[in-house]
Amino acid sequence: MAATFKRLGGNRVRVRLGLEEVALLRELPEQLRAVLVDPTDDPVNERLFPPAYLEPDDLERDAEYRRLMHDELVQAKLANLDVVTETLARGAPSIRRWTVDLTAEEAGAWLGALNDLRLAMGVRLGITEDFDGEFDDADPKAPAMRLLAYLGWLEEHLLEALSA
Amino acid sequence: MSTTAPVRERTEEEEEIVEPDIPWVVIVWNDPINLMSYVVFVLQKLFGYSKEKATRLMLDIHHKGKAVVSSGPREKAEFDVYRLHGHGLWATMQKDR
Repeated sequence: MAATFKRLGGNRVRVRLGLEEVALLRELPEQLRAVLVDPTDDPVNERLFPPAYLEPDDLERDAEYRRLMHDELVQAKLANLDVVTETLARGAPSIRRWTVDLTAEEAGAWLGALNDLRLAMGVRLGITEDFDGEFDDADPKAPAMRLLAYLGWLEEHLLEALSA
Repeated sequence: MSTTAPVRERTEEEEEIVEPDIPWVVIVWNDPINLMSYVVFVLQKLFGYSKEKATRLMLDIHHKGKAVVSSGPREKAEFDVYRLHGHGLWATMQKDR
């Protein structure tokens, strides 16, 4: 975990990542993009696009909400992932570090993308309210749990920079 | 055309007129993934709430399982739900009763 986020003037944020983090952040958005455009009932999409209405009386309204808003929500999430990918491409690599300055808008897109990646992983890992952040290293899910913890750490640091 | 058609039309008009008077509430539900700091950040960003108010709402969500984060006419509530969904929060809306 080498990443740092530093608040600059004009609400910009300077991101510094290790090269292995860059590789990870190139790969993960690809995986989520594939899920977002998948028309089948994927539990990840159920979480990312929940119903707006729960009451039985409002089922028609919910169908209407979905009809009008679903594609826009998908596009917005894809756009956030695109910003991560594009800014990674724009960054300047040095020997072991990689640096890019994000505009406030781009930093917001990073935040949204990181959060969506974590939500998707949480669904895949079956994480519930009972989860206390602890896991057994021998658990087959341990590598994915470590990745989820890393992304949470990353998101927390970005939030700190944005709130600074 | 059926002679009942005008009756049906009138019913829909009445719905249009009555609906804005019914207040709706927007609820955010607890979920195990969203960071507490992220929820506070989003509530401040979307609704302009103070850090204190956003934190109080987040703690309600966390401890009680849900909290009403905004209310108003149906169109406004739906827009709020849409923005919350855009930010990955688990939001729904219902008539305030």
